[in-house]
Amino acid sequence: MATSIELAHASASATLAPKPSVTEVVARFVRTKPLGAAGGVIILGMLFLAVFAQMLAPYDPYVGDYGLQFSRPSAEHWFGTDEFGRDVMSRIMYGARIALFVGFTASLIGCTIGALLGVISAYWGGRVDLLLERLMDILLAFPQLILALAIASILGPAVQNVVIAISIPVIPRVARVVRSAALSVKENVYVEAVQALGATRRRVILQHIIPNVAAPYIIMLTAQLGAAILAEAALSYLGLGAAEPTPSWGLMLSGSAPSYAEKAPWIALFPGIAISLGVFGFNLFGDSLRDALDPKLKG
Amino acid sequence: MATGTRRQRPLYTVAALAFFIGLLGLTAGAAVHGADTPRRGGVLLAAIGADAPSLDPHQEQTFATLQPVSPLYSTLLQIDPYNYPNVIGDVASEWKIAPDGLQYTFQIRPGIRFHDGSPLTSADVKASYDKILFPPEGVRSIRKHHYSSVASVEAPDPSTVVFKLKFPSASLLVNLASPWNVIFPKKYLDRDPNYFKNNVVGSGPFKFKSYTRGSTFEGERNPDYFIKDRPYLNGYKFFVSTETSVRAAAIRSGRAHIEFRDLPLSEVEAITKNLGDKVVVQQTPFVIHFDVAINNTVKPFTDIRVRKALNLGIDRYTAGRVLYGLTGLRDVGAFTRPTTEWAMSPAELEKYPGFGRNAEKNRAEARQLLGEAGYPNGFKVVLKNRNVKLPYQDWAVFVIQEWRKIGIEAEHRPLETAAWYADGRDQGNFEVVVFPTGHFVDDPDALLAPFITGSSQNWARFSNPAIDDLYARQARTLDPGERRKLVIELQKIVLENAYHIPGLWWSRNVVHWAKVKNWIAPPSHFTNQKLQDVWLSED
Repeated sequence: MATSIELAHASASATLAPKPSVTEVVARFVRTKPLGAAGGVIILGMLFLAVFAQMLAPYDPYVGDYGLQFSRPSAEHWFGTDEFGRDVMSRIMYGARIALFVGFTASLIGCTIGALLGVISAYWGGRVDLLLERLMDILLAFPQLILALAIASILGPAVQNVVIAISIPVIPRVARVVRSAALSVKENVYVEAVQALGATRRRVILQHIIPNVAAPYIIMLTAQLGAAILAEAALSYLGLGAAEPTPSWGLMLSGSAPSYAEKAPWIALFPGIAISLGVFGFNLFGDSLRDALDPKLKG
Repeated sequence: MATGTRRQRPLYTVAALAFFIGLLGLTAGAAVHGADTPRRGGVLLAAIGADAPSLDPHQEQTFATLQPVSPLYSTLLQIDPYNYPNVIGDVASEWKIAPDGLQYTFQIRPGIRFHDGSPLTSADVKASYDKILFPPEGVRSIRKHHYSSVASVEAPDPSTVVFKLKFPSASLLVNLASPWNVIFPKKYLDRDPNYFKNNVVGSGPFKFKSYTRGSTFEGERNPDYFIKDRPYLNGYKFFVSTETSVRAAAIRSGRAHIEFRDLPLSEVEAITKNLGDKVVVQQTPFVIHFDVAINNTVKPFTDIRVRKALNLGIDRYTAGRVLYGLTGLRDVGAFTRPTTEWAMSPAELEKYPGFGRNAEKNRAEARQLLGEAGYPNGFKVVLKNRNVKLPYQDWAVFVIQEWRKIGIEAEHRPLETAAWYADGRDQGNFEVVVFPTGHFVDDPDALLAPFITGSSQNWARFSNPAIDDLYARQARTLDPGERRKLVIELQKIVLENAYHIPGLWWSRNVVHWAKVKNWIAPPSHFTNQKLQDVWLSED
């Protein structure tokens, strides 16, 4: 009997798999989630453009060649020029910076504040939970873009204000999801155990609850990235985002583009494609990441 | 459309003509221009590019206030809608100018009633002008400097108003035809001089119907209007949109019949291509120029070298070429409209910072001046602006592009109309701000008022006694030749000291449905906005 028990233990320890390397994780992600991988390639492409825009852009995005107003796409200007003779391709490259900056910062701020509030709400419970949840109810009563519009119109048009305007509506959505995850984590035996051992609230939250709600947080973060880019474009389109001559995709699509859509369709076409592609990339990647991280969706 | 320049006539000529003009004024409203028989009814739909900061034209200087409220009010005199810039009567039926030019006496038409039913008398005219000329504490008067010649306004009897002058003025009569100087009922002004910032009680051809801030403004026919068969329309309605393309689309779709201010040539071409002879285009010059005001009270703009550099950094001649098709901004000039008798010649102008023809040379000089002023690598600045695209933002984009070439990095900050006025005009809370200057006629008293000490139009907040003296002297000078010299001299001092950044003079393209009859576009979007003679040939 005793021998067979030892053999069982030996067999168990022999089957423990080594931790996969990053390359293996990526390879498996590409193999199992090809669409997500395609989204990742688009995001990496955007990141590359944003980081190296200064080297890659053939022209200054702010200064036009006045002799080339409304120039058609050509070998010199692949995406043509706008009403001030500015190179549309260079402006799109620099526009990736604004899109990513707004997308990442707004999502990160909104999701992080939302996650913290969700954890606090779940852990404290009682009046704190009641108060925070009613506050979230109020914020959730407004559609996301309408709330962002209201905030942006109060703060005025500027990139940093767009970040604030987009991040606030994200907070209650993330807070709800994280609160729900934190509530179930809070009831686990190991949490009760560390509490019994005298761990402080701060230690319980930071070391035992937050790490265990990281998956829904990351999923929400990636899901909000695409939405934030789209919201930035929408706010700029409505005149509440970045101000001219900032090369923002949404602004390029609004601005003078509607007035010159017949005369120079490329002014509206290429920023439109850039927005669609960017949002598409983030959505594909976010969906696949959710599938990969959410234990309920794992086969 | 008469758009020629208006020469200042000697005073006796003005006095002799005044009586006849006054008589003409009696019948002007009755005259119907155009061959068709006017049709009654219908609501005129208009698109407008901004919302009013307040409804009191005495205290505002934007079309966003004047265009919606003009049809609700009367003025003492008015610019003839069909013969710009001749002066005709409105509530004044006739007037006389004393031979020494020191007294103007106006007779008020009998039977005029405000929309609340009370009669309009000389007391109301006096109260309105007292508010403009001698504003009580806490009341802004944008144009009081245009009336520096007036010592007092008197109302000896209910139908007579007398303006007593300190000195004869060549500009007074035309400035009394200002569309901004609407007549308010005295009893409301006595109660609260700011009452009309949020309320409307006029005696115009239309009565106030509704106002939804930022959205619509409506007026309805006044059946008791003092010209018996006017107005023809049942009402009018303005739709507010700061987006040029939205206003153009409103015209194209028929949701608006007209945009009174201006649309860019590209939009005009697209609309005419689309609608053919269903629309009419009226093109005129514009007594308005778009500049940049420098806050002369804050560093580094207290340094003349920096101000000169900002001026030198803008290639105005290229701007006129680039921006004309986009915005209608076209003509290079100083502070009086090019080609008028008050304007500097192009050769004279080229001697001043930023008007030289060699843009590269100008930029090199700008960089050198910035270096001498301690900014060899330029500096960052916030350019505040109004959130109206045409032509404010296009002008700003051009300026920002140009300044980048001399190392000045400007952050563009468009503001809602009321906030833009608050920061620019009222509080001086800016470094540089896009600033248009315009008037309803080419009058030096009005066009040069932004440069005198303490004027609410002096957004740049500078003070130069020599300019104040020249302004006062030109206002008193009746001889056009002598006056011109003073007007030119004043402009030269502003340019030499680079207190202000002159931009481009605008031109006006109004496209409207052909069914809008009897409306003629003058070279100002402030005049001919009462709509009393306008009619629609079909709904």
